[in-house]
Amino acid sequence: MSVEEQVIENAKQGKLLTHKCTNCGYLHLSTAYYCLKCGSKGFEDVLLEGTGTIVTYTIITVAPAGFEKYTPYAFVVMILDNAELRISGFMAEIATPSDLPVGTRAKITGFDERGIIIEKQ
Amino acid sequence: MEKVCVLGAGSTKYGKLADSIADITTQASVSAIESAGIEPKEIKASYISNVFGVADKQVHIGPVLMSRLGIPDRPSLTIESACGSGSVSFREAYANIAAGFYDCLIATGVEKVTHTGTEWTTTYFAYCSDFFYEGQAGASFPGLFASMARAYLTEFDATEEDFAKVAVKNHDNGVLNPKAHMQKKITVDDVMKSAVVASPLKLYDCCPFSDGASSVILCSEKFAKEHGGDYIEVIGSGRGGSPAALQGREHLTTIPSTKIASEQAYKMAGITSKDIDFAEVHDCFTIAEVVDTEDLGFFEKGKGVEAVREGRTKLNSDISINPSGGLKSKGHPIGATGIGQVVEVFDQLTGKAGERTVKDAKVGLTHNFGATGASCAVHVFQSV
Repeated sequence: MSVEEQVIENAKQGKLLTHKCTNCGYLHLSTAYYCLKCGSKGFEDVLLEGTGTIVTYTIITVAPAGFEKYTPYAFVVMILDNAELRISGFMAEIATPSDLPVGTRAKITGFDERGIIIEKQ
Repeated sequence: MEKVCVLGAGSTKYGKLADSIADITTQASVSAIESAGIEPKEIKASYISNVFGVADKQVHIGPVLMSRLGIPDRPSLTIESACGSGSVSFREAYANIAAGFYDCLIATGVEKVTHTGTEWTTTYFAYCSDFFYEGQAGASFPGLFASMARAYLTEFDATEEDFAKVAVKNHDNGVLNPKAHMQKKITVDDVMKSAVVASPLKLYDCCPFSDGASSVILCSEKFAKEHGGDYIEVIGSGRGGSPAALQGREHLTTIPSTKIASEQAYKMAGITSKDIDFAEVHDCFTIAEVVDTEDLGFFEKGKGVEAVREGRTKLNSDISINPSGGLKSKGHPIGATGIGQVVEVFDQLTGKAGERTVKDAKVGLTHNFGATGASCAVHVFQSV
């Protein structure tokens, strides 16, 4: 299974597959092949719960092809619980900023043609 | 290293253009050649910046241009670095002259996309993101910069009206630029009432999709002196990178590649940000200009918005930011933009900028990045 396929399969279980550097311990998304901090190539897989807090987002009303039927929707950036790592994804049915204050609790719930799916907790 | 000069510069008008990509590439190139006062046969090679040639059924534009210029035997290279393609291409041309490989080159940037319509242009542009994490999840480019904007609004003392003032200022400048796509004055109220594209960014916070081509002639100092005419000198050149996806950035309101590229360029030029008289910066969205002016060192982090509010970035104020009108008003034909910025600096420093002239300017800067700043190049120029 390719690295992206592994991310997808885990996201469908509500998890985020990460890479922890075996040399310095720095945590990356699993698409990293070399450590950002020390340049080492050794990683161990760490499976995290896909839960966290929204740090920023946008509500898209003018969408790329294939996304028109979902508007308005949010593209969100979430910081994971207990990790200095962010993950972004698609959040359905967000119409106004009052629907999604920064700091809202959220979780990964799946993966489909809209990429990584994140929902409010 | 050889000293590198810009000997000529020209652009088509930016906007919705009827002519083909090959035609507009040639038109801009001919105007740069005529501006330089040289013959095509003096050009040893071409550097072409273009992203979506496939949209107008013409990739590999270099040989087409060289054939039309009557010099089909000269090599050409096409460079893609998303919206930063022009400045990266300029850098490659610069480096080849500095290294002594060539004494005279043409760098032409071009884009022709408006005929594909908003939905497909939005879609093509999203391919410039880290697609697995961003484009695939429905992130458009307005959406990615809107995410930066919301982070900025959350972190600093800023309002959406402050961002709107960037658009108003750049339209004020663009009205004075006959090549600008949007030659129209706007108000803060116009921006605030324009349709939301990606909250908190509204239509008038966004640059337009534009067609257009820009071209410059680069040469060695020896070549410039022998050919006479007006020229300017490139005194600093820098390039940098950032994590491709926003989620991977240490700060969501800083673009690391801008800092890296500008620090390199300042160091090479032996100057600091305080020595810059005016700057053409990458204002694809109003938030971008605010962040750029901080990352370039003109203002402290979080204070760029205050400078806009106080009018300190207007034409002939503390530092003239985007005297051309910027991407916001002049337009953003993405492959041409980085070269178009050099055209503006050339016009400014050789007395050809008309009503939008930055008074007594001696040192100008160009700042152009790809995607959300994943790639960036900065150049510093001085009058001779």
